[in-house]
Order: sequence, then structure tokens, then C-alpha cells
Amino acid sequence: MSSSTEAGEVLIDCQSVWKVFGEKAPLAMKAIAERGLSKTEVLREFDCVVGVSNASLQVKRGEIFCIMGLSGSGKSTLIRMFNRLIDATGGAIQIKGQNLMQLGATELRAMRAKHIGMVFQAVALLPHRNVLENAAFGLEVQGMGKEERHKIATAALQKVGLADWTHKMPRELSGGMQQRVGLARAIAADPEIILMDEPFSALDPLIRRQLQDEFRQLAKSLGKSAVFITHDLDEAMRIGDRIAIMKDGVIVQTGTAADIVMNPANAYVAEFVAGISHLHLVTARSVLCPVAEFQQAAPGVDVNSLPRSAPDADLDALIAIMVGALDHAIGVWDGASLLGVVTAKALLKSVQEKPATAKA
Amino acid sequence: MDLTQNIEAFDARIEALLAWLQDNAGFVFNTTRHGLEAFFGAVHWLLATPSPYFVVAVVAALGLHLLGWRFTVLATLGLLACQVMGLWGVTMDTLALVIAATAMALAVALPLGIVAGYNRRLDKMAEPLLDLLQTLPPYIYLLPAIALLGYGPATSLVATVLVAIAPALRLTSLGIRMTPNEFLELGHANGIAPLQMFFKIRLPFAVPSIMAGINQSLMMAFGMVVIAGIVGSGGLGQTIYEAVRTLNIAVSIDATVAIVILTMVLDRLTQSAGTAKTGAAR
Repeated sequence: MSSSTEAGEVLIDCQSVWKVFGEKAPLAMKAIAERGLSKTEVLREFDCVVGVSNASLQVKRGEIFCIMGLSGSGKSTLIRMFNRLIDATGGAIQIKGQNLMQLGATELRAMRAKHIGMVFQAVALLPHRNVLENAAFGLEVQGMGKEERHKIATAALQKVGLADWTHKMPRELSGGMQQRVGLARAIAADPEIILMDEPFSALDPLIRRQLQDEFRQLAKSLGKSAVFITHDLDEAMRIGDRIAIMKDGVIVQTGTAADIVMNPANAYVAEFVAGISHLHLVTARSVLCPVAEFQQAAPGVDVNSLPRSAPDADLDALIAIMVGALDHAIGVWDGASLLGVVTAKALLKSVQEKPATAKA
Repeated sequence: MDLTQNIEAFDARIEALLAWLQDNAGFVFNTTRHGLEAFFGAVHWLLATPSPYFVVAVVAALGLHLLGWRFTVLATLGLLACQVMGLWGVTMDTLALVIAATAMALAVALPLGIVAGYNRRLDKMAEPLLDLLQTLPPYIYLLPAIALLGYGPATSLVATVLVAIAPALRLTSLGIRMTPNEFLELGHANGIAPLQMFFKIRLPFAVPSIMAGINQSLMMAFGMVVIAGIVGSGGLGQTIYEAVRTLNIAVSIDATVAIVILTMVLDRLTQSAGTAKTGAAR
């Protein structure tokens, strides 16, 4: 695997992808393109269900991209189109610059075997094989010899902390450990892209958190790109570099966690993020007020003597500074230049404030 | 009357057809009969040549391996009882018939079942035929066979094979079709080839169902083989049939006991073979 590729290279490029389920799907797709039918019209006229409509997204090398949505939002369908477990009805998907739709059966198998790994919610460990043989499954399918594949699978199990469990059977493992085997199986084949289909949803909260952190660390240290499906917004924010929110087959908003919480695209997203704490999402840059304004309000204060912070310090850090110092304001410095001042009032307000009201 | 005449005419037609078959295709049926009898003979030789105690020891060893000491003790005592009752020879005749017939039935049922598991349409087409095979009283199958193959084990084998095909075919098809979807997805997501999908994923999940099918086929074959005593199959069935005809109730009860023992031993052994395969723990 070449590690010297340019940063920001797009690995998955998904352009207005549609999935229509039903016998008359091609006809329905044509009608959608020509007449712009709505979901209900498609159902009435063609008896077809629109699973994913007009979804576009790009996943870059090394990026963890979360797709978050409730059940029935089309997220599982969308992720399955990235390795063609489900064929898209319309649109274009490029994986590493190759048009996925045009791959023949053999090329598709090679693509799946070498470049795209997948981890399932149901884990799907083969019950009649031990942990090591399960982790080596992908390599075995590729036709690798026993000794070599077991060596690589052992190394993969080591990375997920299961080096001592190689000869146990899957049912002897807890749910969390089983999912680690699933992850080891996916990384053993060393794919650039890992598709994670709600991998931690069935686990209890404590284990889930632990696995989320481990997964993020592992993916980053190995330089993998991942598409991570979840119905849990907290999980998406914890893991994802960027998040896409889906509803009824449509991607409603794509952005970083802070983008989405601070500027929800519509009422649906706003409602979703209403309960999310701002402490780690809002930075000094967005709550500061200009120096002139501050000096007008508090003429006696020397801005240079105020405690200082960087512009990307979050609310949590600002509160810590504010509590530790005697002053009621913090100067925000970008290197040597003073960008503005965060006042205690503004800080309190931003903690209290519900996310900015949805833009129309 | 008109109706009776019609029926008489129909009967005459059938008889003529059978006679025509005998005359013109006699060699086909003769060859079939010889083939069946040779196969039966080979299986029979395997079972009847060694000493009874050797056969009992083999069954006991199998039982100990698959089921544990309680089954082993009971099976050993039961089989020795067959020997003590003087029925060892006919018991082995019956066992040979059952094994030969089941082997032939499986040779047809397993491959067809696998194909039907993949091909929903074939499965749908086979269903009414299998229903028919399983609904008709087993006696029926003796009729065409005895007309064409004559009195003897060949006829009983054909009838038994017909009866034994359906369960194994059905359950094999079901087992292949019922692979959990997440494992099919796992295979595809790893770029698996079709043949690997069969051997590495579909087949392991189908094994319990296939083994249940084999067990059921064996039991069906057993039932038929006993009935087939009436067409001179030899074995316990014929012993019972002849004992009842001469009102020798004691002998028929001995033979019945032997049948019960043999059935239970075979049933338990094949059932456990199924679970042992899948539950393969440590």
C-alpha cells in the first residue's frame, strides 16, 4: 500500500446517487430524472420505494466520515452501495478514481478483497471457526497460504488487543470482543477504506465508548479512511471528522460536528442537536467581540494585561482560564495579533444559548 | 355395463403396456435389477461377513465416540439380543437394504437439493412432486417396481429409494437457502468467489439441516424396507410377514423387537452425527 499519496485525495466520490427499490426501479428512476417525482408519487405510480435520493459526498484519505440517521433513513443502503452489496439505481460512485458501477465481477471481487473492508452490526463471525481463523477469513478468501494469513491475522488481533484469544471460539467472547475480532478481520486485509455499518450499536454504553475511542485511534494510526454509520449523534461527533445527517433517504447536512451544532441546516437537524453540549464545539473565535467594542464598554482595562487564549480554544478551556484568573475577560491572540476579547457575559451566554436557530 | 367394460379395457391396456415394456425393454430392467442387486450384495457382504461381535463392537465404538456410555451399553445389549434371538442374519439383511437404499437416495437427493437451494424456481417445481411422493401410501411404490423388476431385493430397493429421497432433498435445499444474510454479505464484502461461498459459508450453515434430512430419509427407508418384506426383500420385514401368515406370533414379536432396536440405534447415531458436526466445540 502506498502511503505517500497526497493528503486530501478523494477515495470515495459519490455523486447524486439514488437507490430505488422495486421491480420497476429503472422506469421510476427515469421518471424521477425527467419529471422530478416525489417519494410518495414514485410509490403510488411505480410501486417503488426510494431508499436513497440524490446523495453526494466525498471521503478523503485518512478521514473518518460518519453518516448519521435514524432507522429507515437510508444510511445502511447508502453504505452498501460503496462496495456494491447493493447496486445504485442512479448516479456515480468512484472508489480511488475507478468507476465502481463499471467493474466486472472479477474486478469487483478484487476491489472488495483488497481496498474496501467492512464491519457489520451483527459482527458475523463464523461460529464454527476460532477467532484466528475468523480474523484471517478475508485473506483466506484471497487465496493466501495458511501460515502467512495466520501471521497477519495474529498481528491484526494484536492491534485490537486480542492477541491472547486467538484459539477461542466466537461464542466464548463478549459482544465487545466479538466486534473487535470483526474489526481485526477488516484491517487484516489492509484495505484503504473501511465501511463500518453501525458496528457498536448493539454494545452497552461503557464498552461502546471505549471501542469508539479505540477505533478512532486505530484508524488514525493506520491512516485508514472510514465511513461510519450510526444512529447515535454523540457517537458520530466522537468519531467523525465530518458528519452527514440523513433523513428519509436524503443527506440533509454535511459538515464538522461544530458546523452542524452551530449552524443546523433545518429544523430537523436543529432538533437533533438541541441536546448537544457546546463546551467542546464552540471556540473563542466565534464568541469574541472586537477590541474596539470591548474598550468602549470597559475603558479602564488594558487588553494586553488580560489572560490570553488561542482562537481555537473551546468553551471548556475558556471557562477554565476565566475561573483561574481574576479578570472578567480573556484576550484572544492569534500569534502576535489580538483578534478580540471574550467577556464573561458572552461566555455565559454562549454556554446557555441553544444552537443558532435554523436558517430558513 | 358400460363402465365396467371401460375399466376392463383400461386394465387390459395397462397389462399390454407392461408386457410391451417387458418384451421390448426387458434388458433395461434386467440390467437395473442386476445393478441394484450387485450394490445390495456388496453392502450386505460388508455387514454379514464379519463376526456379529465385530459389528456390535464397531457400533459400540461409534456410540461411545458420538453419544457416551449409556447409549453404548444399551445399543450393545440390544444388538446382542438380536443375535441371541437367532435373528442376526436377517437383521443384517435389513440393515444392508436400509443402507443401500439410503445411499442411493442421498446420491440423488443431496446434489438436487443443493441445486434447488440455489434455484428458487426449481425448488418451487420440485415441491408438488415431493409432496406427492410423501403423501401416497408407501405400498403404492411396490407396484410398478414389482411389475418390472420382479420379486426380490431390487424391487424393495427402488420403492425404498423413492420414499427416502424427499426428506433429504427438502432439507438440503432449505439448508442451502437459509444461510443468514449477514454471512452472505460478509462473503461478498470480502470479494468471495461463488465456489468459496458454497464451501466456506453456505455449506457449514446448512450442515445441521442436511444431517436432519439424512436422518429422516434413513427413517423413511427403514419403514419402507420393513413393508417391502411382502415382495421378498428378505430381512426382518419378510420374517414378520411370513411369521404372521403362519400364525407364528412369537417369531413375529422377536422380529419386531429386533426392528425397534435397530431403528433406535440408527436414529440416535445419525442424529448425534448431525449435532456433533455443528456443535463442534472443543
